[in-house]
Amino acid sequence: MKSELLNKLFECVEFGKINLESPYPPQMKGLPGADEITRQALESGITPDEILNEALIAAMDKVGQKFSEKKIFVPQMLLSAKAMNVSMKHLKPYFADGSVKRKGVFILGTVFGDLHDIGKNLVGMMIEGAGWEVIDLGVDVKIDTFVNKVKEYPGSPVGISALLSTTMINIKPVIEAIKTVSPKTKVIVGGAPLSAEFAASIGADAYGKNPLEGIKWLESTYRS
Amino acid sequence: MIGSFQYFRFSFREVAPTMNEVLKYVQSTGLDKEHPAVVFTENVLKKLDNLQGICGGYVIKKNEPVLPTEGVIKIDDFTLHVGKQISKCLEEASYIALFLCTAGPDFSNITRKLNHEGSWMESYLVDAIGSLTVEKAMNIIWHNLAESMDKEGLKISNRYSPGYCNWDVSDQKILFSLIGDNPTRVTLSETCLMLPVKSVSGIIGIGENLRRYKYGCEMCNNQTCIYRKIIHE
Repeated sequence: MKSELLNKLFECVEFGKINLESPYPPQMKGLPGADEITRQALESGITPDEILNEALIAAMDKVGQKFSEKKIFVPQMLLSAKAMNVSMKHLKPYFADGSVKRKGVFILGTVFGDLHDIGKNLVGMMIEGAGWEVIDLGVDVKIDTFVNKVKEYPGSPVGISALLSTTMINIKPVIEAIKTVSPKTKVIVGGAPLSAEFAASIGADAYGKNPLEGIKWLESTYRS
Repeated sequence: MIGSFQYFRFSFREVAPTMNEVLKYVQSTGLDKEHPAVVFTENVLKKLDNLQGICGGYVIKKNEPVLPTEGVIKIDDFTLHVGKQISKCLEEASYIALFLCTAGPDFSNITRKLNHEGSWMESYLVDAIGSLTVEKAMNIIWHNLAESMDKEGLKISNRYSPGYCNWDVSDQKILFSLIGDNPTRVTLSETCLMLPVKSVSGIIGIGENLRRYKYGCEMCNNQTCIYRKIIHE
């Protein structure tokens, strides 16, 4: 029963079956989705930790792998992220009362002057799917907003995104301000015009070419 | 030829991307017809039928002769630092058409609303439709310019935009100054981001011996460009 439910939830997230009403994928039409199965799993005594680790994180890991191998593309990935998100809503109370531990807090935002959010959102969803709590500060995020969040969550890694060559230069003062108040805080940067060389030149600790690289960096840097 | 801003307005139907174009753009032509991305795209294309604000145009200016090795274009005492690749392509241009085109503000409003609701895939697809819409509108303007110039015995070049082919986005400020007052309502943020976001700007060379290229990817260094991915991967 337990492994059957967790397997079903894994499949719902992998293929983006959100709830009972979701008509896709066809072979799962009329069957419960991530929403109902998560509720059922919790009611049957499966722990939130097991749901998170054995179904959600595992499924999103597979989704990320398929994406990096170009077996699926952004629309499928976003659909999986939505299924995961629906399931995660049932787990939120357990995160809040501390009965389920996340891997850490990841602070994320698009740098000031830049309004692009698709890549940033995708990274946030994948990192959340990897078991982290993501504090998404949104787009056009000012230096002070990043700094205040770093003070609120000391030691938490920060992800900064930019899509324009004119805005990627704004990342440097953000990193400088973060490192001034919290020298040990690590910053990963990403976005279309960036490169590993540019990331190093502005004092970033890492460059994430894609969401999966960001997750790998987090896992290797914050392995407990 | 040199004169005021030539203005064009479009209905969404005139410039709407097809279902297949949208799916190709998001690299999802392999999805079956029941996939939510396909179903949503089909429905939203119908719903966007009444979309307003799709417009654009161009203004033509004299191109001051400079050596292509300088990597610049000089117009009306302004200098555009387009880089050597673009300046080489426009070496034979006697005139430059400076263009601006927008799909309007509704795309940003819709994507913001969908994102807020957690409908990320749907938001992404509307964003893609917006990108394709403004490109298609600009294609019509480009063809109109080509026809007008053909009557004068002149050819026109590909379109070149800040942010591509080593042309820095910061030159948008000069480009907008050169275009001057126009009815498109496209504005520039401090960081040279065009608002509405689904807008394009740039230059087109006009001259007797201009060559057109099938794709510009060979000369552009933008490795993450979506067009490069679609064309070459």
